[in-house]
Amino acid sequence: MESKKTVVDIFVDGARKGWTVGVANILPNVLMAFVLIQILKVTGALDLLGKAFGPVMAVFGLPGESIAVLMGAWLSMGGGVGVAASLYAGKVLTMTHVTILIPAIFLMGSQIQYMGRLLGTAGVQTRFYPVLFGICVLNAGIAMLVMRFVA
Amino acid sequence: MNEDDKERKERSLGILEDIKVPLSGYIALICAILIFSGIFAKQQGWLSVIDFNTLNGHYGAIAATGKATFRGSGGNGARDGFLFAISLVPAVMLALGIVEVVDHLGGLRAGQKLLTPILRPLMGIPGIAGLALVTSLQSTDAGAGMTKMLREEDFLTEDEKTIFCAFQFSAGGTITNYLSSGAALFGFMTVPIIVPLALMFILKIFGANLMRMYLRHAVKEA
Repeated sequence: MESKKTVVDIFVDGARKGWTVGVANILPNVLMAFVLIQILKVTGALDLLGKAFGPVMAVFGLPGESIAVLMGAWLSMGGGVGVAASLYAGKVLTMTHVTILIPAIFLMGSQIQYMGRLLGTAGVQTRFYPVLFGICVLNAGIAMLVMRFVA
Repeated sequence: MNEDDKERKERSLGILEDIKVPLSGYIALICAILIFSGIFAKQQGWLSVIDFNTLNGHYGAIAATGKATFRGSGGNGARDGFLFAISLVPAVMLALGIVEVVDHLGGLRAGQKLLTPILRPLMGIPGIAGLALVTSLQSTDAGAGMTKMLREEDFLTEDEKTIFCAFQFSAGGTITNYLSSGAALFGFMTVPIIVPLALMFILKIFGANLMRMYLRHAVKEA
């Protein structure tokens, strides 16, 4: 039963979905990330993280603190986006840094969740899991190298 | 399983269907690519309307300072995060509104039709997986479910399934996740919106091929 919806109705339906995603997903994730970064900042852990991962992240043209974005992304894509947004807001990352990180956030994003939701559902043999995780991290690394020269 | 059941199952996997895509589908797909490509961002006059950032617009400045938006400047913690997150919502609503329209007009089916014949050379999986592939770009869970069914019905071998999952696992639900969560970052990105999307798609195919090589060379004995 297809009701007669106009393109305007369809757009509004989509925008409504966007509102739900924004309020139910992005807002809590960003707020969580801002609080997390606040904790890391006040305790001085962000500085330590920056120093420890500085040399590695420099390969991709990024400051050491950006490792927090990748860690957040690994748990959930929204978390990675939130951490990136809060580090940008706190002037730790520039627009160029954020641009370099964007594809990587998704390429190695939400792996823990997708292990069950994708690999488990589709019944992929567990002996291939390490290779699959490796491919995603490699993809993220390549993406950051490419973006370094495009951004 | 009786024949009716089998037929229904195959139809839901997009197998019996001879995919028919209306002209509007191709037009919608092209329009979506143009809007997210940023090609018309720098155009003067009416052409600039075919651009995501033009459509998304700008926040007004608070008059007294002439610079900061409603978020203010110099805030931090949960309060700053809240106001900042609110400022990200319009881009997400706009992006998902556009995707919904493109999907409704058949744009994603057009993409499926264009992809189907090249899946075998591209990553060694049969064209029959075209619908599951396009679906997996929109929803990780739906893609996973369809992949499971394709394997159960023997349309994919075990190796092909593993390769297909390598494609889906990196940047799962690509289009939906990038255009919803990712849209929050579009405002401070230095490249056109479509560039990271294209790069992710290329790397997903690259990852699938790494899995293909791994299966062919490293696990031959299995």
